[in-house]
Amino acid sequence: MAPALCAVCKTARALIKRPKNHSKLCKTCFIEVFEDEVHHTITSSQLFFPGERVAIGASGGKDSTVLASVLKTLNERHNYGLDLVLLSIDEGIKGYRDDSLETVKRNAVQYDMPLKVVGYDELYGWTMDQVVETIGKKGNCTYCGVFRRQALDRGAKMLGIKHVVTGHNADDVAETVLMNLLRGDMARLSRSTSIVTGNNSSEVKRSKPLKYSYEKEIVLYAHHKKLDYFSTECIYSPEAFRGSARSLIKQLERVRPSAILDIVRSGEDMARLVPGESPSSCSCKGKSKAPAEVAEDDIGGCGSQNGRNPGNEMAVMDKQLRENEEHEAHEIDVAKSTPRNEGGTANKKWELPVRTAAVASKVVKGQVLGNCKRCGYMSSQDICQACTLLDGLNKNRAQIQI
Amino acid sequence: MASSNPAGSLLKPCVKCRAQEATLDSRSQAVCRDCFTKFIAAKCIKQIGLLAKETPTPHYGQPRRFVVGLSLGPCSAALVHLLNENVDFQLARSRPAPFTITAVYVDPHPARKAEDDILEGYRQRYPRFTFKRDDDDGKLDAMLNSLPSAASRSDIVRLLTRHILLAEAVSHDAQALLLGHSTTALAELTLAETAKGRGFSLPWVMRDGVVDVVVSRPPSSSLTSSPSPNQPALLPPPKETKTKKMLIYHPLRDALRKELITYLSLVDNPPPLLTTHIHHTADNDKADKKVVSHKDLSIDEVMIRYFADVEKEYPSVVANVARTTGKLVRLLSGDSSSSQKLCGLCGAPLDESGDERWRGELGIQIQEEDHGEGEDGSGSGNKKGGVCYGCERSVRG
Ligand SMILES: [Zn+2]
Ligand SMILES: [Zn+2]
Ligand SMILES: [Zn+2]
Repeated sequence: MAPALCAVCKTARALIKRPKNHSKLCKTCFIEVFEDEVHHTITSSQLFFPGERVAIGASGGKDSTVLASVLKTLNERHNYGLDLVLLSIDEGIKGYRDDSLETVKRNAVQYDMPLKVVGYDELYGWTMDQVVETIGKKGNCTYCGVFRRQALDRGAKMLGIKHVVTGHNADDVAETVLMNLLRGDMARLSRSTSIVTGNNSSEVKRSKPLKYSYEKEIVLYAHHKKLDYFSTECIYSPEAFRGSARSLIKQLERVRPSAILDIVRSGEDMARLVPGESPSSCSCKGKSKAPAEVAEDDIGGCGSQNGRNPGNEMAVMDKQLRENEEHEAHEIDVAKSTPRNEGGTANKKWELPVRTAAVASKVVKGQVLGNCKRCGYMSSQDICQACTLLDGLNKNRAQIQI
Repeated sequence: MASSNPAGSLLKPCVKCRAQEATLDSRSQAVCRDCFTKFIAAKCIKQIGLLAKETPTPHYGQPRRFVVGLSLGPCSAALVHLLNENVDFQLARSRPAPFTITAVYVDPHPARKAEDDILEGYRQRYPRFTFKRDDDDGKLDAMLNSLPSAASRSDIVRLLTRHILLAEAVSHDAQALLLGHSTTALAELTLAETAKGRGFSLPWVMRDGVVDVVVSRPPSSSLTSSPSPNQPALLPPPKETKTKKMLIYHPLRDALRKELITYLSLVDNPPPLLTTHIHHTADNDKADKKVVSHKDLSIDEVMIRYFADVEKEYPSVVANVARTTGKLVRLLSGDSSSSQKLCGLCGAPLDESGDERWRGELGIQIQEEDHGEGEDGSGSGNKKGGVCYGCERSVRG
């Protein structure tokens, strides 16, 4: 069989079968196509403005390293006029970040970008090692997850930067969509699908330029560009819903390679169908370009426990739901005498009020997002999770000092 | 404690009636056979009661007309059985039959004996109901053979089955189309439609409610057999279409698939089942989970396998998925005279500018420059053919 030629340039040999759509490309064309698609995402979602200072959340891993490399390339090629900075977080776990921080330091030289490493001690007054010393090994995942979620924002704020980009890819987003469907959390689902998160009042906005890039293509890009990244197995096992969603996506991808993006597309469309979410956030009606949406960042990604219990979340939720069902069964008995439904089909269009509205609003009501009174980070409570945890820790420290 | 127990000698009394031995586990409660079947029947009767309020009798004293979608699998079998029980119950009290039932089996394949035998079994078991097979003269079969993959065929069969059932309901002048989806099936449907890029049409698929049915043409004519296996030809939707409204209802939406299977195993003289459906149950697990090449699997099958596991361990999680997505709102007014373009295949509203932007994310611009060997080798073909994002994916593979 004659070697297949690249589908784009038709001259070089095709060496790469794109995971996204199985088209066969040569190395040069693959790299170009990958970059062009990220450029498309950036322009169609209007992620940046000229002269903007942007911090790249850099962990030394493949996603953020590819992000830094692609942004540098595109910034020069298309004259975005961005002022790019690498921002790394040091959790303060002895030995844990050594290798990855070394990688980021080399990246800073390779890409000629300034690097700022911010430690948990600077951000919170506590390193993770100190947290573990205080509260013990058990439960420290909660702290790490919550602190990690805010660290980039707080770090950017320290640098006076208002925009942080992260390396979340299409697989991460698809995983989050399925995970929130399994959890029945439509409010979170609708927030997690938008490419830009953080509302206008929040000081730091976040975006995911690799939102439509396949994880496998990110690995290929890093490989063929010979990027210097730190590959490590994640030390956390994902919580049950995420793990379950992840294995499901792997199977779906084998059946239909586009499935990952199809899930992302569904997630974006469903976000518009969630009651209470404004239909004006629709990214398509009458506009050729999608305005950047704003919402809470909800992608935990690998290693983030999002402050939840690390146990089997599915089992916990199943039990909780069963108790609710039993409770509701009693309520229905009481309400039996009142008619649940009135009127015929005559004037009813489209929505038969078959399921009672009261029940509908209970679940999808969603939390109203505001800002933490103490640190300003987005929060549905007066005081955000991190500040609440810090309160506890500081109280502890005070006691120890006494 | 056992003083009020009429049979104090019971090893494990049923938690509901306390009068019989508990032999089954129903949502973590030990119950007896009778209480279990009553529990399932009650779930169905509750929904039928709600449906009755939505559908006034056509003329005083006349029964309502319903069409039931029959898959020859356990869930629709349970639905037919429960509906029949309901009629029995009414007749036994000298009341008129509350409804008539025409159950339709949509068969994408040319007539096969196994299916015919089962339908005959249904006719004998439920003589008050009408059973019908709609194989669309084999047109469907020819069209399906032109599709590129098992996943693609499965997607299109699902869509067209729905179309055909709706058309049958309209042609029978039925007041509602009843579908036998269990809680589990609705959860599968939610994730499957999401994985197919059809999130936008979920409210139309998941919820009970009225949908538009195009009646001016047979549904299968929207696809014709195509010259190339990679490019099934799609006809644009006809300029003038007449639409009718049809109410879709899911009376078994509150019962898990495993519960319906247990139910069928407990009733006297249950309806016959098509054996190919049986491997979808959680009960006989490992044996039939033989490794199948993913090339031969469909998205729907991946979901069925996945939820068989989840249903076993976390039944309430399954129920919650179905319940939550059932609450998504239908965004469009549904005014069929509006300028809103609809997908020529599934009838979902089209989002052309969104699709345009998405072609960039999918890397399709690049493919259009190559008219060569790209497997997707798409190009202009059906790009403007008026199909939605999800249908475009389904037709391509
Ligand atoms: Zn090339
Ligand atoms: Zn009992
Ligand atoms: Zn469609």
